[in-house]
Amino acid sequence: MRIATALSVSLLAAASAFAQDLTPRGEVPDHPIAITGATIHTMVEGADPIEGGYVLFEDGRITDIGQGDRMFIATTRIIDGAGMHVYPGLIAAGTRLGLAEIGAVRAMRDFAEVGSIKPEVRAVVAVNPDSTLLPVARTNGILLVGTFPSGGLVSGQAGVIRLDGWTWEDMTANANAGIVMSWPSVRQGYRAFGGGQPLTEAAVRQRLEAIDRLFDTAEAYRDARAADPSTLIDLRLEAMLDLLPGVEDQKPLIITADDVERIQSAVTWAAGRGLKVIIRGGRDAPMLAELLKKHDVPVIVRGVHAFPRRNDSPVDEAFTLPARLDATGVRWCLAPRDVDEHVRNLPYEAALAVAYGRGLGFDETDAMAAITRSAADILGIGDDYGTLEVGKSATLLLTDGTPLEMTTRLDAAFIDGARVDLSNKQTVLRDKYTEKYHRQGLIERDN
Amino acid sequence: MAARRAVVVGLALLLGSSAFAQPSSQSTSDSPLVDRPNGPKRAEVERFALVGGTIHAAAGQEPFEGTVYIEGGRITLVDRIGGEPPAGFAIIDATDLHLYPAFVEAFYEVGAPAPGSPGSPGTHWNPLVTPQRSALDATWPDEGARSGLRKLGFGVVAIAPDGGIFRGSNAVISLAEPSDDASGHRPLVLRDRVGQVMAFESSGWGSNRQYPTSQMGSIALVRQTLLDARWQSRQEGIASNALTPLEDEGVALWFDVPTELEAIRASSMAREFGRSAVIVGSGTEYQRLDALRREADQGDLTLVVPLRFPKAPRVKSLAESEAIDLGTLMAWEQAPTNLRRVQAAGFDLVLTTSKLPSGIGGRSGFHGHLRTAIEHGFDEQDALAALTTRPAALLGIEDHVGTIEPGKLGNLIVTTGPIFDKDTTILDVWIEGHRHEIGQPEAESLEGMWELTLAGRFRLDLDIDAKGKGVMSDPGMEVAEGEEAPTTKATLDRTLDTLTVNFDHEPFGMPGVFTLTGTVTGDEIVGVGARPDGVAFEFTGARMAPEEEVEEDSTDEDATEDDDDGPPEDLGGYPFGPYSVAQIPEQETLVITNATVWTVSDAGTIVGGWVAVADGRIVGVGEGSPPMLEGVRVIDAQGRHVTPGLIDAHSHTGTWSGGTNEAGQAVTAEVRMGDTTDPDPVNWYRQLAGGVTTVNTLHGSANPIGGQNVIQKVRWGAVHPTDMHFEDARPGIKFALGENVKQSNWGDRFTTRYPQTRMGVETIIRDRFIAAREYAANGMKTPTGRTDLELEALAEILAGDRLIHCHSYRQDEILMLCRVAEEFGFKIGTFQHGLECYKVAEAVREHAIGASIFSDWWAFKVEVQDAIPYGGPILHAAGVNVSFNSDSDELARRMNIEAAKAIKYGGLSPEEAIRFITINPAIQLAIDDRVGSIEAGKDADLVIWSGNPLSTMSRCEHVFIDGREYFSLETDMAHRERIASERERLIQKLMREQAKLPEREVGAGTDDAEERPRDPHGVDGPTRLGVYAWFYGHDGRMAAGASMCGACGVLPAEYLEMIQQEGR
Repeated sequence: MRIATALSVSLLAAASAFAQDLTPRGEVPDHPIAITGATIHTMVEGADPIEGGYVLFEDGRITDIGQGDRMFIATTRIIDGAGMHVYPGLIAAGTRLGLAEIGAVRAMRDFAEVGSIKPEVRAVVAVNPDSTLLPVARTNGILLVGTFPSGGLVSGQAGVIRLDGWTWEDMTANANAGIVMSWPSVRQGYRAFGGGQPLTEAAVRQRLEAIDRLFDTAEAYRDARAADPSTLIDLRLEAMLDLLPGVEDQKPLIITADDVERIQSAVTWAAGRGLKVIIRGGRDAPMLAELLKKHDVPVIVRGVHAFPRRNDSPVDEAFTLPARLDATGVRWCLAPRDVDEHVRNLPYEAALAVAYGRGLGFDETDAMAAITRSAADILGIGDDYGTLEVGKSATLLLTDGTPLEMTTRLDAAFIDGARVDLSNKQTVLRDKYTEKYHRQGLIERDN
Repeated sequence: MAARRAVVVGLALLLGSSAFAQPSSQSTSDSPLVDRPNGPKRAEVERFALVGGTIHAAAGQEPFEGTVYIEGGRITLVDRIGGEPPAGFAIIDATDLHLYPAFVEAFYEVGAPAPGSPGSPGTHWNPLVTPQRSALDATWPDEGARSGLRKLGFGVVAIAPDGGIFRGSNAVISLAEPSDDASGHRPLVLRDRVGQVMAFESSGWGSNRQYPTSQMGSIALVRQTLLDARWQSRQEGIASNALTPLEDEGVALWFDVPTELEAIRASSMAREFGRSAVIVGSGTEYQRLDALRREADQGDLTLVVPLRFPKAPRVKSLAESEAIDLGTLMAWEQAPTNLRRVQAAGFDLVLTTSKLPSGIGGRSGFHGHLRTAIEHGFDEQDALAALTTRPAALLGIEDHVGTIEPGKLGNLIVTTGPIFDKDTTILDVWIEGHRHEIGQPEAESLEGMWELTLAGRFRLDLDIDAKGKGVMSDPGMEVAEGEEAPTTKATLDRTLDTLTVNFDHEPFGMPGVFTLTGTVTGDEIVGVGARPDGVAFEFTGARMAPEEEVEEDSTDEDATEDDDDGPPEDLGGYPFGPYSVAQIPEQETLVITNATVWTVSDAGTIVGGWVAVADGRIVGVGEGSPPMLEGVRVIDAQGRHVTPGLIDAHSHTGTWSGGTNEAGQAVTAEVRMGDTTDPDPVNWYRQLAGGVTTVNTLHGSANPIGGQNVIQKVRWGAVHPTDMHFEDARPGIKFALGENVKQSNWGDRFTTRYPQTRMGVETIIRDRFIAAREYAANGMKTPTGRTDLELEALAEILAGDRLIHCHSYRQDEILMLCRVAEEFGFKIGTFQHGLECYKVAEAVREHAIGASIFSDWWAFKVEVQDAIPYGGPILHAAGVNVSFNSDSDELARRMNIEAAKAIKYGGLSPEEAIRFITINPAIQLAIDDRVGSIEAGKDADLVIWSGNPLSTMSRCEHVFIDGREYFSLETDMAHRERIASERERLIQKLMREQAKLPEREVGAGTDDAEERPRDPHGVDGPTRLGVYAWFYGHDGRMAAGASMCGACGVLPAEYLEMIQQEGR
């Protein structure tokens, strides 16, 4: 018997003998690259896939997309994509990749700062570029992730990182995608893992007042600083300024809320203060579609690998949430349920939503949009990522089928035009022990 | 009301002798237990005749009028003729009153002291094992508790020691109040050492973890202790110790249980030792009635049932109702049906006032709840029996109490009416011939027109209404035409038979407040009064005969009561709650045709194939046209795929209520997961809906040698928990290595239990196997001839009869266990998780049947850093049998996708990959002769998928187990509709109550209601989802653009058709 390697990369010559954490990052070549003859899934809203199409990119940007034959300048490296598919790189909207290595070890946890209100802490600065978790996600086509702080009432600033880079600065695609907070409630949270504990009414009021006071203080601070630039700098309030109405490039508040009460009160409150809001969780969001649309509040669905809310709920309740939400016209994207080592399974959560949502009109294209275009838009990187369009970043996948299907093979991936290594620690261990059994004669060598 | 409280016989008469007295009648104060009198002895009245009452002599007997004679504490005669009592009896006039036998409380917990500090002579090593305790050593229930029971009508109480597993023996004591004279009466002990009181107590998983930490550990301890007591009964030279009270196997085991499932567990335990079981239950017996019936048919089982009714859940807001599960709603509505249903199932149940939650009034709410149960159909005579004759017989005191018969104790209840009626008051409870006054008869109403004559001359009329409000008027006053006679308000105060009236006399002449105070006797009043100026006068009054009134229509209040829907329909099925199954599906004869059949056998995958099923077995598999089609169900599976039922070799579903881990000791081989099977969790159903048909239910990984696993089929709706068990499966046991067993992640307090290192893990395992080897060599006995259940299980491993399923991660520990297996000469079943098995495939291949691992889990703790998703495929390639498991109720719903990961990460063929969740785990669990492939002769455990089962975008459509269709999209749809309508009904019912909205008849009266569409998915108009619809604001319409109702999540039929037509 022999074991096939999933990564029989034959299209491009590239070294993949070492784990990513031991190899240099991908490099943007000094020549254009064209993938030709492939089906190009641009993921542009409403656009059909381009059969027999090509993508041309140079200096990290897409310079042309089209159908049929085209002449390329002589230096262009041509990748024959016949029978293959090109997709934008997958984007996992809410994770904590880079902030945690082994969750069970305290020294390896950098996602939850002490205290209740800490808008000043920034996720991107704590991202460990050499985390073994990052290349493992990348091997499955996840090329960008939102990395979110957690804990307390206001957790800190979410970042978006590319899963390749020498430093966290290289990797940063958006240093502040919004400030993460959780909405307090007297009711217990989602019953699945991580469901919040119920609070007393007094405790909820106290928290809500604390939030309101925080914004009042931030506005006063802004005015004070404007009137008198020598006003002492307060890092916490400084971090709040980007959220306030009237500021250029106003940042969203990313509020974790699953149930109808939380979503309703969070959105109503935020709208009253002129804030931009993203709801993260959104189990009951389909019930509040009109409210969400009225205030243009998008939803980050936290995966479908969750239990139904109640014992009597439909068994596929969590699986059909994307389909039910999509049908309402609310803007949304899909994040993985697991925020660490299982982020790589994001496309299969999207696929499950198709398996159970087809009857509601939810198809593979909708599912792909939820982990590419919509995720990019909601994370504030839509100008560069999420679709394949001329002028946008050449962050894309070359596969033999839809990324939603388990058996699909990923042959190559590019981030900002640089081809990235698809090996990782796990492939190195695979090769090491396969070699052991080759030598023992338990596994035949490949020819 | 007659002056019934007067004892009309003079003391002198009592000194004479009685013609009625039984010769043996003994004065209750003639007792060796009482002291000499302090001063002259006081004569006590000891002969009573309760005359003229309605006597309910025994439950089930017609009441009759007569006289009850009590002498010296006992009933000496029940006289139906009702002649004049002879001299010497204190006569109690019981005319218009009812006499019942006083009640018997069968279970009342008292704090009994521990028998000795740990380690003191004769004590058991486990502080929860104290069978030698006695309830009589306990603090006597205090006066408040005693009078509380008496107020409810109880005359005797069986007290039981509280706390512990073996709690000690119970005893029956009298509730008579002792005399305050040392020479006076002392209440009786009617019977000591009635039974052994027990509970499956455990320390839980809190900070004070002591063996047992789990219910299954507790059960294992009970089993071992009963075995030890049996052994001890055959030994000589042991005078007495903790186990001595357990030696007599004729003593019933009384189990105090909090749930109906525990009742079944307790009954099974008693049956295992051939002992009688008395179950002090939960009030939820109706939720597992058939299983209890089955238990009772196989053994001796008596149920003592409390009246526990859950508090009504709050559902006023949408958020509240959204947070409430249907099971909670159903339990609220159905609890009052419990007694009737238990009785109807053939149990002569016994009632107890214990366990009434304080949130609903505690014990004092007993009669109210009992009345509710009677309104829900529980028979009054059964209620009476359940409080008198039955507990008396259960406690072995039926010669003394339970009926009103000569020879029995003078224990009676005197009431104003039938005892379970709402308006009835308990006046007295007689215990041992002593009268305990409980209630007052309701003071007679003063309602009516009273003509008063003040100072013999002045007439005033006092009109008193039903609510006791008074109005004074002057009948003699002349009133001009068209004017009303003046009146004034009179305030009334009543103390016993004295009535005081205050009123302003101004309208009648003299201004100022008059006061009248008189004694009322029937319709007359006589008294004195005073004018404002202080001048006193006498007055008299008489009540006028009421005018004949035309019967009025019933008041509004009555009308509301009439509107009451009456008792609800019984909700049943198993498990109780949503998705319950009324009847286990029939075993079908059927053929699935036109399918892609993944046989997972030499026959490979057959495109255009068929599978035939009969009598629970697969009877044929083939290609093309099937042979048998006449008169059988044919499922045309065009475009669909059929696989064997999926097997999950690592599950903890249904273990949470009994505990997943017995963490109290490093070695707990005696613990059995099968003792605490819980068929209730809806996660069983959810996994079934994902195609899982067989699971290996494993003990957790808290200790190197854990408990015995149980293999189960996902027979959702099983009547008895053990119906889930896979028949005659090879026994197994959980072992565990690494971080969990050395308590690495338990917190800083847990650093002293051996082992704390992987070195110690090996040592303790080898040590126990050496002990087991000796045990086996000694004929499966300890040196003293005892059976040791822990060593027995380990010896079975050595004999090859029990398979180890070993939680493990790192290659060093995996290799270690392989070497231990080599040393002791057995084959390991599986390495569970075994995430580094891929590093030592050659050893695993040789020493274990296989590796049952996660497809792609890693990085969640230190010892899984090197886990890789390529591990399974590498092991497979190296010749190891591999299965993928879930270890998660959530993941278990999509095991087909897990198998696909073997293709993704190892390039396996689909036929090889599907083995990871079918035949391979079957081989690992040694059940491959029954399940795991589609071959003639095997169990008909089959799944029909919408498409390729290894596609992420396929879903499960039908699941068969034993040839029974346990899941299908159609039945799931029916469940959803039933759930939606039941939720609607119950939430509406509660919401009306809580929002105090009037009852409204649906469909009656208004046109609007008549036009209301009955289909919840009707596109127009409000739906019968009622409240849901208007809160959701979509008025019952489908969520825009979707075909699923956003309110209830029910899949409409169109959707079902659509997905069936699409084919995947």
